[in-house]
Amino acid sequence: MKMSPKADKILDEISKELAGCRCAISRHDGSLQAEAAPEGVPAACGAMMRAGGVFDSAFAYPSGGRGSDTIAAYVFRMEGVGVLAVVWARGKKFHAVSGAIPSALWDERKMREISGAEFVGLGDARPIVLHPENSHIEKKNRAMKHGKPLGGKGTDYIFEGTGTEGEFQIAVGPVHAGIIEPGHFRFFVSGEGINRMEARLSYMHRGIEEFARGKKMADAFPIIEQVSGDESVANSVAFAQAAEALYGMNVPARAESLRLLLLEEERIYSHLADLGGIATDVGFSAPASQFSALRERMMRLNEKCFGSRFIRGLVAVGGMRQDIPREKVAELRSGIEFFSNSLAEVEELAMSSSTFLDRAFSTGIVRPRTAIELGLVGPGARASGISCDLRRHFPYGAYRHARVNEALGKDGDALSRFTVKLNEVKESARLIGKEISYMQNGPVCAEIPHSPKEGEVAIGMCEAARGGCAMLLKAGKAGTIGSLGIRTASFRNWRALERAVLKNIVADFPLINKSFNLSYAGADL
Amino acid sequence: MNEIHILLRGSKNDEISSASESATIREIAALLEKRPMSPFARSITVRMVDAGSSNDVEIEEGLTGSPQVDCERFGIHFAASPRHADVLLVTGPVTVNMKLALEKTYAAMPSPKAVVAAGDGACTGGPLSGALGVYRSGRVSEVVPVDVEVPGNPPAPYELVLGILKAGQAIAAKKGKA
Repeated sequence: MKMSPKADKILDEISKELAGCRCAISRHDGSLQAEAAPEGVPAACGAMMRAGGVFDSAFAYPSGGRGSDTIAAYVFRMEGVGVLAVVWARGKKFHAVSGAIPSALWDERKMREISGAEFVGLGDARPIVLHPENSHIEKKNRAMKHGKPLGGKGTDYIFEGTGTEGEFQIAVGPVHAGIIEPGHFRFFVSGEGINRMEARLSYMHRGIEEFARGKKMADAFPIIEQVSGDESVANSVAFAQAAEALYGMNVPARAESLRLLLLEEERIYSHLADLGGIATDVGFSAPASQFSALRERMMRLNEKCFGSRFIRGLVAVGGMRQDIPREKVAELRSGIEFFSNSLAEVEELAMSSSTFLDRAFSTGIVRPRTAIELGLVGPGARASGISCDLRRHFPYGAYRHARVNEALGKDGDALSRFTVKLNEVKESARLIGKEISYMQNGPVCAEIPHSPKEGEVAIGMCEAARGGCAMLLKAGKAGTIGSLGIRTASFRNWRALERAVLKNIVADFPLINKSFNLSYAGADL
Repeated sequence: MNEIHILLRGSKNDEISSASESATIREIAALLEKRPMSPFARSITVRMVDAGSSNDVEIEEGLTGSPQVDCERFGIHFAASPRHADVLLVTGPVTVNMKLALEKTYAAMPSPKAVVAAGDGACTGGPLSGALGVYRSGRVSEVVPVDVEVPGNPPAPYELVLGILKAGQAIAAKKGKA
């Protein structure tokens, strides 16, 4: 990637600022790399933030070789110029950055636990991956599979209240009333209003990142698709892009176009569930049924066009596993046209109901300041007016020529999240139609060249329906995965829910939760 | 018109998308002709527990309630509490962190009861069998006894309906023995 003069200028400024942090700075492939000492991480990250960076994700993985050092990578998005900046550090004892950058708190809690390294000054040292009450099961289980136990102790996980007079707790989950995934929510309530809510997740922790180690990159897609079912394509594309960067491959134009079709189709069926869910949770069943019918129709369209209701098994390293024949593409086009017409009807039904609007308006507000503080991504951030669409700021694949109109809201409430998703679905339908007209014939997969050098690292990003996800991939021996770090949009946005419910009533929680519709599996990995 | 329409004498506009779906529907129709489906006058109440799937099977379960499939016409109803449920529908692979919740949910159900393992993860452990966060092989049968297995990555809504109806049969058989 070639850098624009504007990007060069900003990188110069960052370099100057970082000079004071005793960092080694290098630039390559359109990204800025800063190597910091373990105790110099906060200073280096602070410089990145001041230069206009947005904290995206942080990963930790073993350095390999002798001694068991941990390598920590903090990734920042320079949105104005489309450049990634990474702060690297190596050691056993790091200084935590989450004091200054609150959005990094969950990342650092997780890094501490999975790497075993120490993070000095970490505000919340409770375990996040392993549940201490299950440590005896975990220990036996790991011993059976020859894994090192995470070292959790059999203590209680403590939720702290606000100390308001007359405050009581409501514990919800892990098994919820509906047909959804497990997670625990603890409400601190006085009367009806919520004083504090804390989400305790990781019930779905299967250990995907650890499990992927040593697998062939080209064969890892069935594992990646398990991260989150309705983000199968987006996660696969993010992973494929990281692998392609390691191999130094160029993806054929037709494969890029096909990927766009899959990604946008996935966004449509994924958002339809959220839109229907919001209607269900306000008790407005007529549009809810229509959204549900539309969704089932899209799933059937997926099966007809792509051979899988969840569009699985199509993305490969270097492009696509197989081409989509012309008649299937035509079928997709007519399906999308039908969908656009039906959507207009449902939209009118929902948006003309004053009870629906009244219920969703001003419910579960996320202020722009909170959205920035927590580093939110996806529709959750865009509803508060924060522009963060990777398809626009970091265009990849076919998005380099397909210009995406980013849907932005301004109120940050459940209604804006509803309208943002509605507009995104329409935009996706438009993009699919346009890309089909633009698409060229040609090969769909590049030849896989020599295996990348062991120890090389690449970052792949992709805008999933729930927001941008990032994957850090380190090459192992002979085209295997050395290390894999995954940060999904859900992992970043769960904390927004904790803020959004404050001062709302408990009865509105399902509505607010649905307006985000985050993935538990995607956050827990 | 398909087999279910003939059976239920309805005229729903319900298109069938594939040959396998049509085969599943035929099997459902054959099953529904045999009475009793469950000891509860053709009504089956289901509680579902996601013990570690990638939310794909949950989506398909949600879509059994879509207007096209409409599981309530087969007497299938999803309940919020295990105390109200006849059938436990579990998806997997079962994680270490969900083992306890799964056991407790199963214990809270009244007898006679049956368990359906839905999806490859629940039946065999799936692609993540062997991962460190997954309990043993990840099979649901490692934790609670399984009566019906519905494989698939993930199984389609009609396949889930068929699995639940078979669980109803299993309950009827258990009741006959007792």
